[in-house]
Amino acid sequence: MAAHVQDPHQLQDFYNPNVLINLGPSHPAMHGTLRVMCRVNGETIEDANCEIGYLHRAIEKLGEEKTYHQWMVYTDRLNYCSALNNNIAYAMAVENIMNISITERCMWIRVMCMELSRIIDHIICVAINALDLGAMTVFWLLYHWREEAYTMIESMCGMRLTTTYARIGGMSYDIPDNLRERLWKFCEDFPRALDEVEGLLTSNRIWIDRTKGVGVISKEDALKFSITGPCLRASGVDHDLRRDRPYYVYPELDFDVVVGSNGDVYDRYLIRLEEMRQSIRILKQCNDRMPEGPLWVDDKRVQIPEKIDVYTKMEVLIHHFKIFMEGIDVPKGEAFTCVEGPNGELGFYIVSRGGPKAWRMRVKSPSFMLFQSFEASVKGGKIPDAVAHLGSVNIIAGELDR
Amino acid sequence: MTTSIAPKAPYLAAQENLSKRLVEKYGTDRKVEFDKLNEPIIWAKSPEDAKVLFKSFMVDDVFKMDFLSDITAYDNKDHEDGNKRFVVVYQQYSTTLHVRVRIKCLLDENEEALTLSDVFKGANWLEREVFDMFGITFKGHPNMRRILMDERFTGHPLRKEYPIKQREPFKDNIAFHLGANPKSIDTHILEGEEN
Repeated sequence: MAAHVQDPHQLQDFYNPNVLINLGPSHPAMHGTLRVMCRVNGETIEDANCEIGYLHRAIEKLGEEKTYHQWMVYTDRLNYCSALNNNIAYAMAVENIMNISITERCMWIRVMCMELSRIIDHIICVAINALDLGAMTVFWLLYHWREEAYTMIESMCGMRLTTTYARIGGMSYDIPDNLRERLWKFCEDFPRALDEVEGLLTSNRIWIDRTKGVGVISKEDALKFSITGPCLRASGVDHDLRRDRPYYVYPELDFDVVVGSNGDVYDRYLIRLEEMRQSIRILKQCNDRMPEGPLWVDDKRVQIPEKIDVYTKMEVLIHHFKIFMEGIDVPKGEAFTCVEGPNGELGFYIVSRGGPKAWRMRVKSPSFMLFQSFEASVKGGKIPDAVAHLGSVNIIAGELDR
Repeated sequence: MTTSIAPKAPYLAAQENLSKRLVEKYGTDRKVEFDKLNEPIIWAKSPEDAKVLFKSFMVDDVFKMDFLSDITAYDNKDHEDGNKRFVVVYQQYSTTLHVRVRIKCLLDENEEALTLSDVFKGANWLEREVFDMFGITFKGHPNMRRILMDERFTGHPLRKEYPIKQREPFKDNIAFHLGANPKSIDTHILEGEEN
């Protein structure tokens, strides 16, 4: 008790309202290389400051140096938890500038891939968030299905994490024959794992105590901070680009947009859980309605020739050589193409001045806006709350720093 | 128009309305363009004009722009878009009408843009990133520091003249900023005694 001590300075350490606690950049509860400096008074965070840039790899600058095709691999490294989504969003952005409309089958494959990667991303977020708060069983339950999803992706494009599946005007490979069966099984069994997770967490007293009312982002704040995606919907804003600015075959699909109300960690968890179920609904429809037909758009500017023709016909070999050595010629113009990524609005703003390289390649990443709001919304909470909060907004450092 | 956008998307009608009004009301003395997705671009006459436009789109009934999507810039070194060095790009979005509008503003190397962080809190980091990458400063910004690069870093990487292979490693960290006023320990203990 301070009142019993003659010299108050003896208690400086005890009552110091300016204790600085540094979280990250290499801290097990910081997802990736994030760094937050917190000023704590007792246990309460009174002030926080984020530092980013630890994973800055000049991806935007490389976008101006590499050809459109070469840059595709860098999109994998943006949000590496849902690489398919980035690949497709980028291919879409270039196609929009070139006025290319991809084939029906390609659209369905792309929608399927995007939903699959959304599920993976949400699995990571929910599982790691629960793991950070000590619920390890959820992690084992969900990661089994993440593994299964990755195996399916592997069967599609030969790679698991960094997929590089999309190509401008098509996809690198068609989906394998046995995927239909596998996907069907996934759609049947995965929701059962979700039920189990829901049984473990949703009405779990400890989980509710740790998450309800923690890390609240109000509706007004969410809009002022330009947050998008599940975190915006958790705050009660009914906004989903898949429905509001429909691209590809989304208008033909039957799915619901999930909206929360409180904007806390608990709501974000519920939103992600329900979005996985909605993605399963979409996947089922994709599986049933996947049309036959050509995968590649019939456009000489972008179409990568069949390998068998490249080896047997000289003209095709030259064409192949030109596409990969010189790059495709994208006309002058610009477009800002956004898709609803797992974390929010993922936008590619490409300014083309003609030629095989972009003049400006801007990646508008959802994590950047989310981490900015984290600095403000973490105030008033405790240090363990900050960990819960950070896990629930799912900031991916690769996308944050680019 | 053949793009990724679903035909007959409901927002396309609102976009047409917006484009019409943009040309009629704001385009009388400003250049209005349309990009490859038919989305409108308006060129502000000055940095001040860009902020005026941004604010008037927020209250305009046909626009209802209540969301800041992005702030970025690009190098206009080849003077394709005008005689000045940089172009600052503001992307606005309406969460009710689901339409976008892009405000562009030409800036010279010695000119300053105006900050939007007083209107949208989210503009804070976006403007810091533009400053970091291009060296464009924003007048009235509360914390105009580098964000991705180290504070001792020289040059602005996304300028066209910046060589891609240039490296500038630092051996140590610099002290971390905490932009708040620390409380005095003495006063705090006295407060505690009163309770």
